[in-house]
Amino acid sequence: MAGSRNANTISAAVFHRHLVIGVVATFFALFPGKFMAAEAAPADKLSDGDKSCLGCHGTEGMQKDLGGGKLLSLHVAGDDFAKSVHGANGCASCHADIDLNSHPQKTKNISSSREYSIAMAKVCAGCHAEAQNESETSIHATLLAKGKQSAPVCTDCHGSHSVTPKTAYDTCVGCHNAAMDAHAKWLPNAGLHLEVVSCAACHAPTAQRMVDLRLYDGAAKKWVSEKEGLPQFEKWARAADTDANGLDALELRKLMAQINHDPAQPEKTLRGRIELRTAVQAHQLSDKANAIRDCASCHRQGAEPFQNVSISIVSADGRPLRHKAQKEVLSSALSVDSLREFYAVGGTRSTLLDILLVLATLGGLSVPIGHQILKRIVQKQLEREAQAKPDERGGA
Amino acid sequence: MQKLYIHPLPVRIWHMINAVGFVLMLLTGTQIRYIGLIDLMSFRTAVTVHNWIGFVLIGNYFIWLLFYLFTDKIRVYHPELSPTKHFQASFRQLQYYGYGIFKGSPNPHQVSAYDKFNPMQSMMYQVVMFLLVPLLAVTGVLMWDVQGFYGAVDFFGGVRVVDTVHVLIYIFFAFFIFFHVYMGSLGHTPTAHYKAMFITGYEEVEEEHTHSGAAKP
Repeated sequence: MAGSRNANTISAAVFHRHLVIGVVATFFALFPGKFMAAEAAPADKLSDGDKSCLGCHGTEGMQKDLGGGKLLSLHVAGDDFAKSVHGANGCASCHADIDLNSHPQKTKNISSSREYSIAMAKVCAGCHAEAQNESETSIHATLLAKGKQSAPVCTDCHGSHSVTPKTAYDTCVGCHNAAMDAHAKWLPNAGLHLEVVSCAACHAPTAQRMVDLRLYDGAAKKWVSEKEGLPQFEKWARAADTDANGLDALELRKLMAQINHDPAQPEKTLRGRIELRTAVQAHQLSDKANAIRDCASCHRQGAEPFQNVSISIVSADGRPLRHKAQKEVLSSALSVDSLREFYAVGGTRSTLLDILLVLATLGGLSVPIGHQILKRIVQKQLEREAQAKPDERGGA
Repeated sequence: MQKLYIHPLPVRIWHMINAVGFVLMLLTGTQIRYIGLIDLMSFRTAVTVHNWIGFVLIGNYFIWLLFYLFTDKIRVYHPELSPTKHFQASFRQLQYYGYGIFKGSPNPHQVSAYDKFNPMQSMMYQVVMFLLVPLLAVTGVLMWDVQGFYGAVDFFGGVRVVDTVHVLIYIFFAFFIFFHVYMGSLGHTPTAHYKAMFITGYEEVEEEHTHSGAAKP
């Protein structure tokens, strides 16, 4: 009996070992992140050279005494730099003047941190020559040339070591924090305008504008971002754009149906913004006296911003991914649903409603005209009848 | 001719403000929508005037509403509940305007203080005053501050839907204003209804109530 029992069961020691392994395996399966190696920090992806720079400059509070009580921060947040658009470029791409044989022994003679920022901003033109050219006549560059040291240089808007894509509005109000109040004094619906019109769309009056219809998650109250490693937007947009000439109103409806195919997910809508066709043109910022103030610049059929339309999503790295749409989508009756959150009074009016208005006006005018014609016809008929009756009587 | 007091002062005041207001709203609304095609005034002026008059007309609507809610004159808006009766009477009214009026036949509708609308007017004004005007006002207010009323705009289906409803009603009124003004001239004299509705409040009807052209436009 005992031998038989031993053949069909396991020993207590083996059972315990299996139990412990099972429990531990289950625990790790349920909570893997807690016990695996810590996720690599973004700065770990940097080159060895950059890491050696951060060996000193990554130290919080590192600064240089410029004399006279003035200080220059020398600290660089390694993770922020690694995540920035320049992370892959490395430190030396901008700080090529640093000779590692003499650094840090040989120090630069810097009179103020502001002067250093202005000097270092010139480095940006090495790669961003086009933006530099556009900004040369801008109000910011003009003020700087006139000696106003507080006028912004590249790094004041874009940051120095943590350059990431961000909206122009967030950038501009960093300094122009009274912009909302100033606009509210003269601009109807100022809050809405500042929300849906890029600052540069009016303040770079010579730039070319466009309508960017961006996917928005109303439930989460944020722009929809493409999932990292799972890019679907461009694939779906290309599939919907069957003739590859930009999405028409019907194709846009199909694309929106595809994006919202899962009823369990919060519905995504398209929100329109007036943007510049190229971000580089945003550097043409003019004196505010020259900014566009004429409402008809946009609120007019055929206005320049509505000649170019794209639909977009925020990519995993924060940049917009765009697909061209035909400008007619803005005025198509088929867009009432797919573009329900974008409408510019006068600028994107529906052609069908225009036709209905003409018909209604003609219909309204035809009432008195038609009734008066009917009156003449009936009265002539009555006159003929009246004339015929005496004749009949005379004949009798 | 017998004079009947059909249009009380609050109704005449409401109608007068409404008449001027609607003409200005149609003009400024057309200017807002068709800038570049029509240039009577700047876009901003048109928007400012449109907004102000819009609020005046909303206030004015309440003069009309409160008058009828708190007086027994609300009976003029009571619908005919029998569809057969309603459509038979409407057909007689159509026959009158399409033929009888030209040969001096009596108006089949006998106007009185508690029954001033003919069957077709009655149906039209119920739709206009209880549906179209409130909807026009609500959509207008939502577009006046899209950001502030975002929740309501979203509830109604988005700014394009709200605008489309507003414009469809504007299109209806672009038709209605011609129709309404012309029908007002079909009294026993071309100005009889205008004088009654804007100035005196008295409609002139035949003594024996058998002949009357006194239907309110």
